[in-house]
Amino acid sequence: MRASDPHEMSLLNELKVDLGGLQMIAGWIMNGDIIMIEQMPTFGGYAGGLEETTIVDVSSHLIAFTICNADFHLDGPVHVRWGITTAREPLTVAGHCNMAIDANTHLLTSNQYYPLAQPCTEMCLLETAAQAITDTGSGRELMSGSAAAKGVALDYTTGMEARIMGEAAKAVAGMKVETVNEILDKLISLYEGNYRNPPQGKTFQQCYDVVKVTPTPEYVEVYGKAVETLEGLGLKFTF
Amino acid sequence: MKKVVERPVDVFEAFNRAKTGPKVSEKEWDFKIIPQSASALKKKYGIKFNEKEVIPTDKDTINSLFLAGMEMLVQNGVYCINTGRVIKVTEEEVKEAIKKAPDKLVIGEGRDAVDMVPRSPQDSRWPIVQGGPTGAPVSEEIFLPMMQSYAQEAIVDCIVSGVMNTVEGNEPFPNSPWEIKGTRMEVALVRQACHKVGRPGMGL
Repeated sequence: MRASDPHEMSLLNELKVDLGGLQMIAGWIMNGDIIMIEQMPTFGGYAGGLEETTIVDVSSHLIAFTICNADFHLDGPVHVRWGITTAREPLTVAGHCNMAIDANTHLLTSNQYYPLAQPCTEMCLLETAAQAITDTGSGRELMSGSAAAKGVALDYTTGMEARIMGEAAKAVAGMKVETVNEILDKLISLYEGNYRNPPQGKTFQQCYDVVKVTPTPEYVEVYGKAVETLEGLGLKFTF
Repeated sequence: MKKVVERPVDVFEAFNRAKTGPKVSEKEWDFKIIPQSASALKKKYGIKFNEKEVIPTDKDTINSLFLAGMEMLVQNGVYCINTGRVIKVTEEEVKEAIKKAPDKLVIGEGRDAVDMVPRSPQDSRWPIVQGGPTGAPVSEEIFLPMMQSYAQEAIVDCIVSGVMNTVEGNEPFPNSPWEIKGTRMEVALVRQACHKVGRPGMGL
């Protein structure tokens, strides 16, 4: 690793730390490395509901900079039932938390992506876009993702999900918050009924030519469909 | 008299406080202190979200959340699971830490470096795109092409790695030699992917 690469240490749920993490940070400080401190507060976990989880999320940000020498914070509010960051509730926690941090500090913040659906499905791309829109509209500085299929299934991640993350962010950058909220309400409604029975997706090997490293025509078509859906909601893509 | 911080808290001072802070059981922390404090602060600051808003527009709600988050930390501290003690900090120390935090970072090197600078909610600049599997498991046979699939995307600025599922066929158990080799191989292969697409300086 280079000093200019973010070095990551995770806090524990909620507002907890372990000495192994502090020891790693000590080494990075002495080396002059960029330090990124992560915490994924759980909606429906120890803290409880939306407002309570967001209060804990704000605290987590402040802990990162106060005792962990963070250069920036990596958020990731997650839903206790679904294990994803793209449901309405974790997006609401993330959106509210960052607005609170942004309005009161200059701290650099980021968020990480765990959609439910698998690659090569429109749902996966729409979930990822919803979080990118939330992060962009609430003033975050970096988006980190995306770990499709909740980040737990072997080989169910590809570069196409990162593409929609970036392109969706670019398409809403500069929009009024009120407009962003209207888009998000409609967008989340398109996929939040599918958590129990998400569409079947494909592995990296199934949706990319792994030698040429190009997505299959099928995934390109699915991507185009997702862009059309997002344009229908008011996003303006520029390629 | 105004409280003045002697020196900013850092990870070294945090360790000292983790050895001497108040003793609390982890169970009490998880099931009593965290939920009760969060609930009390929600009530104290009168925080109630508008369910139609993912991103809040009400300034009072936004500022109350910050004050409640600050109070949550100052009132309770941070729990160290190894010592069973609480690392306490003051509000002044938190504010000092905010002052000390950077307002600009450069991620990556050379022409592939990106500046991380503060954005506002309606900023016309979009966030930095750190593309990658974000810790999701990846087969070692396809680790390189998968990482290339991110590095070659024009919109991607820097990389977040996945976790190689095996290392030369061996499971990278925590605290094993294979874990170290796996981590080193992940970094090497991400760098190789960046080199392959002509972006050797991309941050990881």
